[in-house]
Amino acid sequence: MLIPCPHCGTRPVEEFTFLGDATVTRPTSLEPSSMDAWMDYVYLRDNPRGDYTEYVHHSGGCRAWLVVKRNTDTHEVDSAVATKTMKAKT
Amino acid sequence: MTGFRIANGGLIDRSTNLTFKFDGKSFKGHQGDTLASALIASGVHLMGRSFKYHRPRGVISAGASEPNALVELREGPRKEANTRATMVELYDGLIATSQNRWPSLENDFLAINSLASSIFVAGFYYKTFMWPKTFWEKIYEPLIRKAAGLGTASKEADPDTYEKSYAHCDLLVIGSGPSGLMAARTAARSGARVILADEGSALGGSLLFENEEIDGTNGLSFAQTIIAELASLPNVTLMPRTTIFGWFDGNIFGGLERVNDHVAVPPAFEPRQRYWRIHAKRAVLAAGAEERPLVFGGNDVPGVMLASAMRHYANRYGAAAGKSIAVFTNNNSARRTVGDMKDHGINIAAVIDTRKNGKIINVKGGKGVKSIDLSDGSHFECDAVAMSGGWSPIVNLMCHRGAKPIWNEIIAAFMPPDVGPQFRAIGSASGKMLLSECLNSGIVAGTLKGKTPPTPKCKDEAFAIQPFWWVKESTSKAFIDYQNDATAKDLPLANREGYGHVELAKRYTTTGMATDQGKLGNVNAIAILAEAAGKSISEMGTTTFRPMYTPVSFGAFAGPFTGHHFQPVRKTPLHDWAIEQGAVFVETGLWMRSSWFPKAGEDWLASASREVKATRAGVGLCDVSTLGKIDIQGKDAGAFLDKIYCNTFSTLAIGKARYGLMLREDGVVFDDGTTSRLADDHYLMTTTTANAARVMSHIEFCHQALWPELDVQYVSVTEQWAQMAIAGPKSRATLQKLVDGLTLNDETTPYLAAKDITILGGLTARLFRISFSGEHAYELAVPADHGNMVARAIMQAGQEFEIVPYGVEALSMMRIEKGHVAGGELNGTTTAGDLGLGKMMSTKKDFIGRMMATREGMVDPARQCVVGIRPVDRTMKIRSGGHLLKQSDRPSMANDQGYICSVAWSPMLDMWLGLALLSNGRARHGEVVKVFDGLRGHHYLAEICDPVHFDPENRRLHA
Amino acid sequence: MHRVSSLQTIAIQGRFGADKGAPGVTLSVVHPLAIAMVIARNGKSKALKDALASLKSVNVLWAGPDQYYVQSAAKSEAALYTELKTKLANIASVTDQSHGRITIRISGPKARAVLAKGTPIDLYTDEFPVGKSALTQMAHVGVHITRTGKDEFTLSVFRGFSESFWEWLTSQAAEFGYQVS
Ligand SMILES: [Zn+2]
Repeated sequence: MLIPCPHCGTRPVEEFTFLGDATVTRPTSLEPSSMDAWMDYVYLRDNPRGDYTEYVHHSGGCRAWLVVKRNTDTHEVDSAVATKTMKAKT
Repeated sequence: MTGFRIANGGLIDRSTNLTFKFDGKSFKGHQGDTLASALIASGVHLMGRSFKYHRPRGVISAGASEPNALVELREGPRKEANTRATMVELYDGLIATSQNRWPSLENDFLAINSLASSIFVAGFYYKTFMWPKTFWEKIYEPLIRKAAGLGTASKEADPDTYEKSYAHCDLLVIGSGPSGLMAARTAARSGARVILADEGSALGGSLLFENEEIDGTNGLSFAQTIIAELASLPNVTLMPRTTIFGWFDGNIFGGLERVNDHVAVPPAFEPRQRYWRIHAKRAVLAAGAEERPLVFGGNDVPGVMLASAMRHYANRYGAAAGKSIAVFTNNNSARRTVGDMKDHGINIAAVIDTRKNGKIINVKGGKGVKSIDLSDGSHFECDAVAMSGGWSPIVNLMCHRGAKPIWNEIIAAFMPPDVGPQFRAIGSASGKMLLSECLNSGIVAGTLKGKTPPTPKCKDEAFAIQPFWWVKESTSKAFIDYQNDATAKDLPLANREGYGHVELAKRYTTTGMATDQGKLGNVNAIAILAEAAGKSISEMGTTTFRPMYTPVSFGAFAGPFTGHHFQPVRKTPLHDWAIEQGAVFVETGLWMRSSWFPKAGEDWLASASREVKATRAGVGLCDVSTLGKIDIQGKDAGAFLDKIYCNTFSTLAIGKARYGLMLREDGVVFDDGTTSRLADDHYLMTTTTANAARVMSHIEFCHQALWPELDVQYVSVTEQWAQMAIAGPKSRATLQKLVDGLTLNDETTPYLAAKDITILGGLTARLFRISFSGEHAYELAVPADHGNMVARAIMQAGQEFEIVPYGVEALSMMRIEKGHVAGGELNGTTTAGDLGLGKMMSTKKDFIGRMMATREGMVDPARQCVVGIRPVDRTMKIRSGGHLLKQSDRPSMANDQGYICSVAWSPMLDMWLGLALLSNGRARHGEVVKVFDGLRGHHYLAEICDPVHFDPENRRLHA
Repeated sequence: MHRVSSLQTIAIQGRFGADKGAPGVTLSVVHPLAIAMVIARNGKSKALKDALASLKSVNVLWAGPDQYYVQSAAKSEAALYTELKTKLANIASVTDQSHGRITIRISGPKARAVLAKGTPIDLYTDEFPVGKSALTQMAHVGVHITRTGKDEFTLSVFRGFSESFWEWLTSQAAEFGYQVS
């Protein structure tokens, strides 16, 4: 599999480390009532067949964390964007 | 014709004489021969015994699909089993041995299996060896292995080297026959980067042996002209002897180049094989088509071969399969064999065409063809049979990513699926049966830009076929899969017994397994299975095509990364100094760390004990360069560290170090270390050796994905600094001799000071007053290139205090004496509270792990927490791993209350002691527990105590 | 003070490997070298680029998003660090890496063929022109690679891996014959 790193160009998957679902958001509340949200954030993940958005670290390259959209069924990679760039936009 | 060598023609060099041995007997061949062609030319057809029935077998094909002529090639450590004689290029001194026979190829005792074949029908493994279960390992399996094993592997280490390499191209052309050459030339002329790969020893594909006429010349010279042109172009890479064995995600292709398999021993510095990973923008499959056998009685008698293989041997190698041959076909292409054989002066005994004049019922002969019986009752003498059951496009690679091939009625074959423009099939691999179509499809596929050039003129041979799958009238065995000895009758049987699905039938009959993966037999098998199941071939479908197309050696995949080179070695900047001091090294991850420094006659325990005592009595020097060091800068560096660590760093004074504890987001302890503030916006973090890389990734994630708004920059400086721990009551006096213009005392350098200094007259250094040993101690960091020099200078300075170098064993003893937690306790299950560090968790800020660390289960007082442990019998040696039970409890894991994490011999207390995790342990100091070691099968009593075994008041630290 | 490279006793000068006429590649250790890692502060990407462009007698090599290695063979590591700290104040953080990395130069007609045995990067000139740098892995070691000429590259690795990396590199160059200078 090839991943198009926005900084390095297209590189093979062995240069990358996968972390999992990138659509989860770290809660900001530290109130006990937010524990359910924290549990979801830390533990709850879908394992879809098909489109998936996940955190990928270019650990064997520029060391940027990316958000990669790919299809777990066809292995097609749709896009790879640096998390820093994404956050800056939102 | 002398013997079976045709007098003229072909691509062999008759002026060379190569001597080789097959089963101990000497033969001669020529440069350009394969092992198979040289044997055929020597009149040898019997090349192996079959897998199950041990029937005599000869060569069927002239290429990669060969199921029968498998040999052990070479001897000793270079021996390679299951090598296809059809692919082995002959060299002088070649040694090959037949397989699957005992005691010899001519007389095989196990051929009796053939007579007892009623018990060897499909599914025989399942049926025969089911019961009793206990017989499997001791009786059935060894028996099956002896009876049916393929070749044997050498047990000696392979002396040759293997390589890996990447390649990139605009167009990868797989196969160098007419269509492949056209595609390569067309793309190359337009300036594209082209790789042309072919599994054969020479480029040219079918043009190396088929009589064709193209562009007013013969096919061979047409091919040679193009190959010469391609060879002259800088944008073209020609890769003969290279099998493209797999197609992977991203249009990446795996290739195996047999760099030096065609010589006895690779030249110095050259690999035997090279594994290629080819990144292709586009690729074309020009692998051609595979001729299918026909299924009739005795279709495995040596001398029966594919019609195309017979003319391949005659035309390219000058090797005649027989002196009088019969041709059996269901299609037009075998006419070429008839014509070519006649041209070579070989007698055609009979031509049997299922569309016209019947079928061969049985071939007569044991170790060679003697005659054939036809369906009309006639009988012909002959010594070889050419068969052609049609042509199957070699679609394998196109199906490696899951697409299925599509049945085509007109050519009676599976066609490659459409997998998009990145990878297309051309020529006969795409079902084109006319030469003109092949040439044209190559040109079209090679046109990456601009206008399509014209197609060269050529002579076409019309193609027609009438599917014919099985001569059911045959009375002798009709084989579908030669390598697995599966016969035509096995498939209806599989269907009757409920294994009619194509994937189930494969497993039940073993059709399509082993080294050839059914390249020749699968389509026949599917057709016969479909008929038995009352389905169409299209409905039946194929089994799954997977990489590798042909077998690839483990050596090629391992490449140069074997033995000592399996993984890189990481050495510290003090490595040379440690060697001078007689260090014994230990691998810690990739690092080589000095473990102990034995003097004559000392074992590790004596050495490490002496190092501890000398350090605690005077001064010791330890290489701690492997600890992770991360330079953290930026306006928000402090705020960022507050997120990363559970304790607070933004309030740390400049010039001070602080012990920090990091949690994972689930609240479990992740890592620890001291982090210093060098300037307002500049910190230096240390991590454990084991977690250095993980912490770096974690920091990168936390910043880039969670808090990118923080102005913080970080980079690993682990390798920039050589870092030394100088510990012991004489550490200050030792260091003082090196330091420039600074008096070391509690005012200038108090406990937890961190400062930039210079030493030895101007050398940049960083000094930290921190301690892992519990002694008055420092860590001194100097730029790595100066590490050895500075370590030597410290040894010199400490000489009067009898300074010793100490290694990680001594370090470990001292930290356990002091109850400092390390890897054994920071083991991915413990909370800050478990480690006795619960108070470090700030309640005033958010940090990674804060919320989850508050969960009920994470703060349960019954949790296992760190305690000290010592055996009640002080002379006893204890080991880590033992489980802790109440003293009165039965030794059983049902009564488990915790376990011992770390143990060490304590040179200071003169006994073995350790750190353990024990349920509610802090309230149980003084309790005697039972230690149950189920693994070693014993139990003993031990006393729980404070984790700090030695100097509990920390007097030495502040001395 | 005299710096001792981690390859001082490893990279012995001479001619090694196959003898097929002129060496396929020439290898040399670039040492001593002053190296600083500079990383842009938040929002200072452009300011850093401009500031780096105005620096004299140093090499500036891309080393990741908003990150650069600034190198000098002429300046001492302290001089380079101090200069950058001053000139890049509030624009970038600066870290001395002079001792942390070992730089090896590889040149010659077979340089690309040797490197292709390690990196998945396409080093074809059109794709990877002179002056371009990249971060990749070769032989399981992180490598910073820069093309410095048509057939010339520099490779920099963590100091601790340098001996292991050198062993791999020379073994891969051996089939072409190599010179260590
Ligand atoms: Zn990258």
